[in-house]
Amino acid sequence: MKKQLPLIIVLVLGIAMALQFFIPSRISTVTYETLNRWIIVIAAFAITLAVGSLISHHIIKIKRRKPGWWNSYVALTGLVVMALLGILGRINGLNWMSAFYFKLFKYVQAPMDSAMFAILAFYMASAAYRAFRARSKEATLLLISGFIVMLGVIPFGSLIWDKIPDISEWIMMVPNMASKRGILFGVGLGMTATSLKIILGIERNWLGGGGK
Amino acid sequence: MKYLEKLTKIDRRVIFLLVALAVIIPLVVPLGLPVKPSKYSQKLYDVVDNIPPNNQPVLISADYSPSMMPELHPMLKAIVRHCFAKKIRVMVMTLDPTGAALAEDALNEISKEYLVEYGKDYVFLGFKSGTSAVMMSIGQNIRQAYPVDAYGKPLDELPMMTGIRNYADIPLVIDIAGSAIINQWVNYAGTRYHATVGAGCTAVSTADYYPFLQAGQLVGLLNGMKGASEYEHLNEKNGYSKASKQASKGMDAVSIVHLMIMLFIVLGNIGYFFARQKSSKK
Repeated sequence: MKKQLPLIIVLVLGIAMALQFFIPSRISTVTYETLNRWIIVIAAFAITLAVGSLISHHIIKIKRRKPGWWNSYVALTGLVVMALLGILGRINGLNWMSAFYFKLFKYVQAPMDSAMFAILAFYMASAAYRAFRARSKEATLLLISGFIVMLGVIPFGSLIWDKIPDISEWIMMVPNMASKRGILFGVGLGMTATSLKIILGIERNWLGGGGK
Repeated sequence: MKYLEKLTKIDRRVIFLLVALAVIIPLVVPLGLPVKPSKYSQKLYDVVDNIPPNNQPVLISADYSPSMMPELHPMLKAIVRHCFAKKIRVMVMTLDPTGAALAEDALNEISKEYLVEYGKDYVFLGFKSGTSAVMMSIGQNIRQAYPVDAYGKPLDELPMMTGIRNYADIPLVIDIAGSAIINQWVNYAGTRYHATVGAGCTAVSTADYYPFLQAGQLVGLLNGMKGASEYEHLNEKNGYSKASKQASKGMDAVSIVHLMIMLFIVLGNIGYFFARQKSSKK
């Protein structure tokens, strides 16, 4: 029953939600609206679950003195402080907490997050230098088109030759899009097949236990 | 010849140092490179520009985190400035938990530059979890997803929300995102509820959205920092904003880094070519 009940719910709701799209009526609209609200509530629970999982992960790390365990103190302190400031800051009389929350977000979290992402630029430059070699005809073609697209997105491109942005646009609109369309079709068909497998109970990994 | 072969072995620390200089110098000494708006930035700008003032609001979803801030935050600011200058009403929401503080920060900053009033000219809806479910709920009734705004005030108490029910009452939805969430806006808001959708994304993900542009499922697209700088340029050109152009400054650094990467690739290939020639002679 532990496994059959979820499978029955998925089968019934999966078919019902697919059918309601093709049968517009008051009942189907109300059902659709209600279920949409449920999804939003369930998604909120998922956040709670994620926070719980994060806390337990770090507590275990501290208890077992795993490598870098002291970093977990920083993570947990950040989590608790930001959550408290964010929640309590909404209470009248404690608005300073909200202001402090925004200061921490704007001057601590945002720059740290941006800095982490910015490091990518350094690795990309190094990786492009090492990997972008004209080893074959295909690689040469990729290299040339990459060059044109890169030049097309910066002002220097049009300063060198005013047709470079147009050629760059053509590369994006024709060869790039042809491949993207193919990928999108594949993804779409894959999603349909996976959805059907889940609805019909063929794919059961989402139940846990590797489908056994 | 030996020196040419060495071109394949430039120390990565040298590359890192040169990239750092290529970023820092243009930020300290701006180059003021010319900005020529691309076709899809112009299209998005024109769609916003043609929305009647003091009427139905534009819905902007700021679905990005601080890591994407340098590219996407100037987009949000430029679009909001354009709307405020033209008295186009704005609703801002986010489907990213960290996006709420960023969007609120942008609104607080820009609302001081223009004569706008909260609830009458703009509304901040805040974060809501559920992604596609939220998009679909807005298609039924925005009050299902957001019964109250980010400050706990019921939407019905906000004057500009009178008569705003779903996508049919929203002339344009703009998603600014650094993830594949734009696909979902196109699928659910655009295809299912026939909303007009435009987007702004990070430069690295732009290629993914060209099929939607060609099909008309996206009315316009801002391509990373370049798109943001183009929008800033259009705002300034039309007299809608006198604010400092954040993305345009960043674009100088991006341009120099692009050139530097291209130079490294050329050097690497010259070295590779000579090394290969030498080994084939042996």
